[in-house]
Amino acid sequence: MSEKEQVITPEVFDHLVQLAALELDEEQADYLRRELNSQLSAIRELEAIQLDPETPLASHGVPYDGNNSPALREDVWQACEDVEAITRQAPQFEDGYLIVPDIPHTPLE
Amino acid sequence: MELCDLSAVEVRDLLLEKKVSAVEVLDACQARIDAVDGRPGTLEPGGETKEDAQRVHAFITRTPELARAQAEAVDKQIAAGEDSGPLAGIPFTVKDIFCVKDTPSTAASRILANFNAPYTATAVERLQAAGALMLGKVNLDEFTYGSSSESSAFQPSPRNPWDTTRVPGGSSGGSAASVAAGEAFLSLGTDTAGSIRQPAAFCGVVGLKPTYGRVSRYGLIAFGSSLDCPGPLARNAKDAALMLQAMAGPDPRDATAATLDVPDYLAALEKDIKGKRIGLSPDYFQITFPQADGAYSQQPVPEEMRAAVLHAADIYRALGAEIVEDVPMPNTRYGIPVYFVISRVEAASNLHRYDGVKYGYRTQQAVGELKDLYRKSRGEGFGLQPKLRILMGMYVSAAQYSEQYYRRALRVRTLIRRDFEEAFDPQGKYRLDALLTSTTPTSAFPIQDVYGDSVLMQYADQLTVPANHAGVPGISFPAGFGADGLPIGLQLLGPDYSEATLLQLTHAYEQASAGAEWRKKRPAVLEVR
Amino acid sequence: MTAYETVIGLETHIQLNTLTKIFCACKADSWEDAPNSNICPVCTGLPGVLPVLNERVVEKAVLLAEAMHAEVQPISYFDRKNYFYPDLPKGFQISQFDVPVALGGYLELPIPAAADPEGKGYVTRVRIHKLHIEEDAGKTKNDGNERQVDFNRCGVPLVEMVTEPDLRTADEAAQYLIRLRQLLRWIGISEADMEKGNLRCDANVSIRPVGATHLNEKTEIKNVNSIDSVREAIRKEVERQTREVEEGNSIKAWTLEWDQDAGVLRKMRSKETEADYRYFREPDLLPLHISEEWKTAILADFPERPLERKARFMQDYNLPEYDADILTLERALSDYFEATVKTYGGDSKKVSNWLMNDVLRMINEDHLDPAAMRLTPQYLAELLKLVDAGTINITTGKALLQQVQESGKAPMQLVEEQGLAQVSDDAAIRAVCEQIIAASPDEVAAYRGGKDSLMGWFVGQVMREMRGKADAKLAKEVLVELLK
Repeated sequence: MSEKEQVITPEVFDHLVQLAALELDEEQADYLRRELNSQLSAIRELEAIQLDPETPLASHGVPYDGNNSPALREDVWQACEDVEAITRQAPQFEDGYLIVPDIPHTPLE
Repeated sequence: MELCDLSAVEVRDLLLEKKVSAVEVLDACQARIDAVDGRPGTLEPGGETKEDAQRVHAFITRTPELARAQAEAVDKQIAAGEDSGPLAGIPFTVKDIFCVKDTPSTAASRILANFNAPYTATAVERLQAAGALMLGKVNLDEFTYGSSSESSAFQPSPRNPWDTTRVPGGSSGGSAASVAAGEAFLSLGTDTAGSIRQPAAFCGVVGLKPTYGRVSRYGLIAFGSSLDCPGPLARNAKDAALMLQAMAGPDPRDATAATLDVPDYLAALEKDIKGKRIGLSPDYFQITFPQADGAYSQQPVPEEMRAAVLHAADIYRALGAEIVEDVPMPNTRYGIPVYFVISRVEAASNLHRYDGVKYGYRTQQAVGELKDLYRKSRGEGFGLQPKLRILMGMYVSAAQYSEQYYRRALRVRTLIRRDFEEAFDPQGKYRLDALLTSTTPTSAFPIQDVYGDSVLMQYADQLTVPANHAGVPGISFPAGFGADGLPIGLQLLGPDYSEATLLQLTHAYEQASAGAEWRKKRPAVLEVR
Repeated sequence: MTAYETVIGLETHIQLNTLTKIFCACKADSWEDAPNSNICPVCTGLPGVLPVLNERVVEKAVLLAEAMHAEVQPISYFDRKNYFYPDLPKGFQISQFDVPVALGGYLELPIPAAADPEGKGYVTRVRIHKLHIEEDAGKTKNDGNERQVDFNRCGVPLVEMVTEPDLRTADEAAQYLIRLRQLLRWIGISEADMEKGNLRCDANVSIRPVGATHLNEKTEIKNVNSIDSVREAIRKEVERQTREVEEGNSIKAWTLEWDQDAGVLRKMRSKETEADYRYFREPDLLPLHISEEWKTAILADFPERPLERKARFMQDYNLPEYDADILTLERALSDYFEATVKTYGGDSKKVSNWLMNDVLRMINEDHLDPAAMRLTPQYLAELLKLVDAGTINITTGKALLQQVQESGKAPMQLVEEQGLAQVSDDAAIRAVCEQIIAASPDEVAAYRGGKDSLMGWFVGQVMREMRGKADAKLAKEVLVELLK
């Protein structure tokens, strides 16, 4: 695939990496961008399909109706048995709080 | 033939007849693991030794004490004449994509390597409640993203017990390998594009992807939430039926778990298949894939695969089934491109939660602000395959591209679904009970052969992925060996919730081919010893 | 100089007062809980968990939609809104996007004279764009260079309700919140306490020259947690925008945060760099079907709305607007009023006076719930009838209110037990009057000498002697006669 056919340019790629909150080294970035373009060209096969605009979107393959759909949950309280087993997983947990670095704010002049 | 090489049903009978104890069965499996599995996968860097190359490496985590305590409990129950459950004393493995309380639940990723789940997945909970003994957690592609199990962060990754230079398939590679090598009778896997059926085919075992929603997804670390299906890998249809029976059914913790009654799968096995309509489709005798220049190439599946399908059709015909040829499934070829879009969008979203804040990996580097914590933790914690899926998912669901890619893919998914609806329509032209295909376009490929080429790797799922889009059930079962000496798997696809029929047809094939010469063959890892 | 008008749209987040959270069985209210104690695998987004929708959330959302005259959608969908923030454990919020639970609707807003620049008061109608169901996020707070995260609030059910840009002044915005809060409590779907974050508000603010119909770039003010703050923050922002525009600067689509303590707005992040949320259907939840049958069942006991009831009170009971407004501030109070009037059968204005002057004071001082008072509407009506019949006088009646509330006894029973009935017996009063006159020669002389004003003193003496139970009118007649 030639450079100019690449939909995911280095700029687009960098934007995606920002959105995805990933930090990549150069080697990883090269591999990933190449594979993305290669996958996108496979995806382009979809563009050629004649689609009736009325064709519904299938969020699930199996249809759900009154026969197989679960009921909604009743509003009944059941406390978690072991809350500490959850908070114990946190990399930094102090005084009952999970701790993360600061989030900078810009004051309004 | 050792105890651990019997089927689950055979062992269950021996246990109930008190001819063996659960502890003995467990010991047989542990001895087999010790003999053939080699070292479990680890995050530590370090090259593979010569010995590594001859081992299966199915496991990430073994839980021997847990299994032993449970085996002893089962023995007590059996001795006391108490009901010990339909799977009492049967050792099984769990793909390490399921959360099990107080065991590491890693998803084969560095980012979850230190995560100890505080709860147990519904499917595992039900198997344990049925008396099955969990041997441990087995390896897979990182977050299930692959078809070879090579992308695991825990290396060495699993190898094919029939030929350790080959991959076991994936992503449920450790599951299939552990069942094939006699380490476990059963394994709990997941199938998002073929991740149960393809490794089952590569490793010569039975793998069933149930209908979407037939088995609860609660506790299954999500990949493609609208596609993921937990399901059994087993030595034969009967064992798979036994296992599915224990797992299937509604679950108040999964809003997509179907509330339909679960039929008696074991009882269904013994029914006559006379009059069943089994279809063959030209669209499953070929594969379509993009070439380097962007053009699409269509190739027939290898002749020996085709021959295996036709031979199975002959067997079914001889058993009284009707074979319906030329069933059109024209949208099969779009399964992979559609999958490239839908699964990536869901995966990218599902992977948002791994950020170094609540659990799992957090960067050890000093970070000034939160954004850096995210980027470094995720950058260091995820391997290449998750990163690739995240980036693709981000791209195709971006507001400006969503119509072109994501929403279009969901429409094409409808077309794929309609292929199946027409084929299975009881009032339609074809009125199929099942569609018979080969499970994969090739047998197990050599390690490193495809790894890294994410497109080629994905096309290994071309014949399995349409069932995931459509939600319908599919089963892969062994049907002999190719010229390369590797197992060939065949696939049956059926209408929604027709697992009983698929198991029944598989069982019928097994009975009819029980005397075949190829059934005597044993995995290479066992012959070496 | 150009005159500008303000254009305001409000996005309110309403915490529903269900017992449990929206997608898990943790309790919804964590107000008194230690941080990170009211959590479970589901609301903290552990790997592998799945959401299961609480049916009461849907029911309360339907009630709100009805209250707002919005159209409940027979099928709506849940979507994932993807973004990174430490208070959002899954990295996405389960919300509704293109097909929400209800569309359209409006709220009538009476603007009091005090909030009308022309001092007259008027009514405006605020259109509702949509209502959608979503989950609340957790809380974070600064602690030095770090930030503390508490997940207790994760998964509290919310309805986000978005108005059209129909509000024109900060006072209108404040009135909208006042009326919305009243309505939420009225239909019982939210505690609606802004201090506790049950009701939160983001304001989209822009200005334009008076007479213009286009919409200019707007800013979004977040984190305003009282009605006064909303008013103040909008005023400040309008001042700022006016200043910027007059200086020839353009308004940028900023997100602003209201700092309550400092009373200033701060810029949060610029809209241009705002993440694309990449909404897509939540695959873990099925479409939400609200059948006509279910909707009918939910709305079976739907109450008259507060403004409708106010109008009816004015019409049916001839109440002044002031009375009707106060009596319909809370549904329980208005029910109390109406029940009293119906049992009493007499002058409804009299009931209103007693309620607003005396009963309401008891309610406010002792934080009573009108629906649970021991002074029931039946007892209040009985008491009013005792006063009307002259069995007790007004002073005794008012004293009895508190006694009935404290004892739970019927007014008549208390009157009998304590002998509080008014003495209307001519002979008994005459005897006491004679006794007083005999004992007060100086006062009698002075009265007879023309000091008429002493009559009050004589009546008072009689009342004191008879411990307040004398019929004062009768006593006066007897005294006048005897002192002739």
